[in-house]
This record gives sequence, C-alpha cells and structure tokens, in this order.
Amino acid sequence: MSKKHKISLTEEQLVLSLRNHEKVAIEALYDMYSASLFGVISRIVIDTTIAEDVLQETFVKIWHSFSSYSTEKGRLFTWMINIARNLAIDKIRSKDFKNQNKNQEIENNVTSIDEQNSTVYKPELMGVKDLVQTLKPEQKSIIDLVYFKGYTHVEAADELGIPLGTIKTRLRMGIQQLRKHFN
Amino acid sequence: MEDIKAYIESGILELYVLGDVTPDERLQVEAMALKHPAIKAELDAIERSMELYAKENEIEPSENLRHRVLGSILTNFGDDNNFPQKAAPRKTNVVTLPPRKESNFYKYAFAACLALLIASGVALMSVYSRLQQSNNQIITLQLQNQHFTNRVNLLDSELSIFRDPSFKLLKLQGTPKNPALAVTVAFSQALKKVLIDMKNVNLPQNDKDHQYQLWALVGGKPVDLGVFDAPADSAQMKEMKSIARADAFAVTLEPKGGSINPTMDQMVVLGKF
Repeated sequence: MSKKHKISLTEEQLVLSLRNHEKVAIEALYDMYSASLFGVISRIVIDTTIAEDVLQETFVKIWHSFSSYSTEKGRLFTWMINIARNLAIDKIRSKDFKNQNKNQEIENNVTSIDEQNSTVYKPELMGVKDLVQTLKPEQKSIIDLVYFKGYTHVEAADELGIPLGTIKTRLRMGIQQLRKHFN
Repeated sequence: MEDIKAYIESGILELYVLGDVTPDERLQVEAMALKHPAIKAELDAIERSMELYAKENEIEPSENLRHRVLGSILTNFGDDNNFPQKAAPRKTNVVTLPPRKESNFYKYAFAACLALLIASGVALMSVYSRLQQSNNQIITLQLQNQHFTNRVNLLDSELSIFRDPSFKLLKLQGTPKNPALAVTVAFSQALKKVLIDMKNVNLPQNDKDHQYQLWALVGGKPVDLGVFDAPADSAQMKEMKSIARADAFAVTLEPKGGSINPTMDQMVVLGKF
C-alpha cells in the first residue's frame, strides 16, 4: 500500500476549496482519501471492479452533495466514510448485484460467500504490526464489522453471538485503545 | 458536568463515529457537540483515531481509477446544473486579449477609390462631350472657311475675267417674241473661252424635260457650246465649251441634254458682235 499523495491540503483548505468547486479540491480529495475509502468499500464489495465503481460513485456523490456537509457536524472523513459505506451496502443489496452473484461459478461462490459473510480474523486486513498488539482480536472484529462492513452493533451481537452490552463495551474499549495508540 | 461525563461514557459518541446511529441520535449528538466543547473534543478525538485506523487499513485503488473518477466529475465541471449554488469566481492567469482591431482603412480606401473612379468617369464624359462640340465647331468653321475661300477664289476668277482685256462682254437680247429676256456672255478669242454670267441670266424657268442650249454662230453655222438651266443653281460664271471664233451667240430651249441642231423657233435670245 504505497502512499502516492500527489496533492495534499489541510482539512480547512480542502473544505473551503470543495465549497468553491475548485478543480484542485477534487484532486486533493482523491489523493488524500481514495485509499482509505477504498479500504472500506473493498471490505463490503469484494469484487474489485464493482468496488471501483462504488468508489467512483462515492466521489461523485461527495462532489455533488458537498453543500450538505458542515464542519459543525464533525470531521470531513467521518462524513465521507458514511457515504462510501452506505453506497457499498446499497450496491451489495441491489438486485443487479445479487443476480450477478447467481451467475458466478460454483468454485468462486465458495470463497465469495465465505468472504462476504466471514467474521473471522483476516490477516490481510490488519494494519501495522504493533496495532495487532494494541487491539485485541475480539475488539478488532467488532470494530471492523461495524466501521468497515456497516453492521449495526445489534447485528454484530447477533452475528457473533455476544450480548449487546458486551459488544458496546468492547467497541468503546477498542476505540480507547486506538486513541491511545495514535496519540 | 456529571451529565456530560455520563453522556461521553454511554458510548453513543463511538457509535456516532462508526455510523451506527439513527437519524434522531445523529442530530442529538451534533446538538450536544455544539453545546458542550468537552463533547466536541471527545468526538473529535474519536474521529481522528478512526480516521487513522481507516488509513491503516487502506487499500490503494488501481492507478487508472484516479483518472476515471476525476474525469467523470470534471467532464461536466463547467455544467452549472451540477452545482447547487453558483461557484465563486475563480482567479485565473488567463489574460483577456483585446479584441483584434479591425482596420477600416482598406474599406475606406476602397470606397474612396470607387468614388474617385465615378467622379473621373463623369468628368471624362463631360470633357468628351465638350471636345465633340469643339470638333463640330471646328468642322463648321473649316466648312465656312472653305466656303469663303471658294467664294473668294470664284470672285477672284470672275474679277479676272472682267479685268482681262481679251474678254468681251456680249449681252444677248430677247427675240421679238420675248423682248424682255436677256443673257450675258463673256468671250475671249485669245483664250478660246466662253462663259455665261449666270447672275444675269433672265430666262423663264425650264421644266425638267428641257434645257437651254448655247450656240455659237460661226460663218452662219450654229456650233453647240453646251446646255444650262434657268434659273441657275449658283450665281457663277459658267464656263461653256471652248471655241476660237464666233460671230454671234444664241440660246434655244431644247430637249434635256441638248440637240445637235438648234430648234430655231425655240430661240430665246440672240446677240451679235
């Protein structure tokens, strides 16, 4: 995962230039956030081609509905990842996507079903090495389910067979760990 | 203060950042963050952490996707329909070039040339017509000049006849039938010339089938000297056929073209030396 950020602005500059519909804004936005957003989309939409379509839709939507964002609502990325996550979930729930999956080869279905429904720990989704030590696997799996895959904590509790209260605690503790880690 | 702490510890802020809240909860969190800086700060810290966590899990999309995505947005960049509000005017380095100054010089020059051409044409026509007038006047004057020259020459020659001592003037008198008639003839024996003074011909007008004929009587025999008309078409001295000797002259009225022998009863005048 090479970092090839061609254009980088501060968040304030970026928001201002996005409001003014400057060409440089969308370029900077893509360079700064496309990989992070694609990471989320790719965990929901496994097919790379479709995931790329969703990423494109995400940027188009960000660009056209930017007037509905305000800094008072929080950070830009939080707003954007919600858009990306929702578009990705819409995509896998859409009729086209389901029909497409029906036509897939049986051999592929085994892995794709596994990938789509799996809640098991995936090494390739792990970040840097010390993060593994920071975040306990049971915390990470819940955070990833909710943050990356768009599960509600209620759905996650069902999925993992863990009581709702425990889910909420683990989420909060895990995020506390991340805050410590990044500070 | 306790309320805020409890609110923070409830875990709602984490769920908000993870996108796992209802729309009502979302509005509530945003209102609380606006009201309480502590909540705002807590929220910001969670957001930053999750943003960095997402970055740790980033997946670089393929290189050509950047071009595709930016292209799809920037293709309609200038389309105002894409913008909910008008974009703020953008500063550019584009320098507006002054519009090319269309020179009217050739237009005016052409018009001037055309006007000059028309004026020249009109002037030429007027000069040409005056030249024609002048030429006509010259021709008229030349004709007059010719006329006068002829007249002077004629008078000169007539005068020379009267001055020449060899010429004798003979007045032919009317016959008893027409005593009022008269013709004047000039005869020079030396020059063998006979002329009729047409100015002094006093004869009745001949019709178109007849002409007057002048005869010379030489030793009693008539000799033809030519025909003439009365009244004369010009008041000149008309030279007749030449003869060396004549005793008398007579004029008879003959058929047109003259006769070989005179018709004696048609004699109108006669004169003897």
